Amino acid sequence: MSMTADPPRWAEALLRAFLKPGDFESVSGDLLEQYRDSILPARGQVRANLWYATQVFTFVSPGVRLFATLFSAQFLIRTALDWFLPTANFHFRSTASTAVGVCTLFAAGFLAAWRSDSFATGAIGGSLTAAIASIMSIAGGAVMLAISHDPQTMAAIRSSGGFAEVVSLPLFMVLPGALLGVCGGVASAALKRLFLFSRP
Amino acid sequence: MADILGTFEQAVLLSILRLGEDAYGRAILREVQERLDRDVAAGAVHATLERLAKKGLVASRPGTGTPMRGGRARRFYRVQAKGVRALNDARAKADNLWHGLRWPLKGYI
Repeated sequence: MSMTADPPRWAEALLRAFLKPGDFESVSGDLLEQYRDSILPARGQVRANLWYATQVFTFVSPGVRLFATLFSAQFLIRTALDWFLPTANFHFRSTASTAVGVCTLFAAGFLAAWRSDSFATGAIGGSLTAAIASIMSIAGGAVMLAISHDPQTMAAIRSSGGFAEVVSLPLFMVLPGALLGVCGGVASAALKRLFLFSRP
Repeated sequence: MADILGTFEQAVLLSILRLGEDAYGRAILREVQERLDRDVAAGAVHATLERLAKKGLVASRPGTGTPMRGGRARRFYRVQAKGVRALNDARAKADNLWHGLRWPLKGYI
């Protein structure tokens, strides 16, 4: 039993970001108590830290998980269209999928900030959504490639940017995800303020 | 009519009742895990407590911190009258569903 060992700081910061200010003390206290009292002595530092991080992710807004699923779903639908229904002009598809992606990340930031009462959480919500979505998208793309890799599909993949694009594009969305999340967070804070001021 | 409770909500409310004065986050989590006989995420219990509080089925008050918790205060929960009514209602509904059937079920398929 250790009264002084601490879990990773980044995990505590993430926990703080996704909880309402009034909830952080009791929730982080509960986790710290369990971490020091039973997890650390039984599992050691590395596995105890992993346990803590896993617990923190259970507090991440369910909205983030939902938006990550939506984001990767739209990305995979777009990829499937490019692979299996190739077109000469990708302009409409790319405009539509970019617009949906932007709206999804903005909404993720908006919701995360709305729940936590902190607009800064929007950045974490947006980037985390993009990060989770990129893992799901890359895995989904790999599954699609494993299922269908006949010469015709391979030619369509090459003409639509190649498989490297399927891997790199979702990862490139993490930083824009943070920026769009901030925008969502600011919009959320503004709307909340407007809502509070308009109350009698 | 009282709220219709899900199984997990019932597990959390009943754990709070069992723990009495000692019903705080970690203790509730442990009790729910024991009763459901499975691993439960702390986030799931927190989200449920938040939802139950919003519905007015539980109330909470801050307690004191301990060195083990880095001095951070506990939050103690109590089931409200509305929560007790909801639990009674859930139990009555479940009893009604099972009425006339022998348990454990045997010989129906």
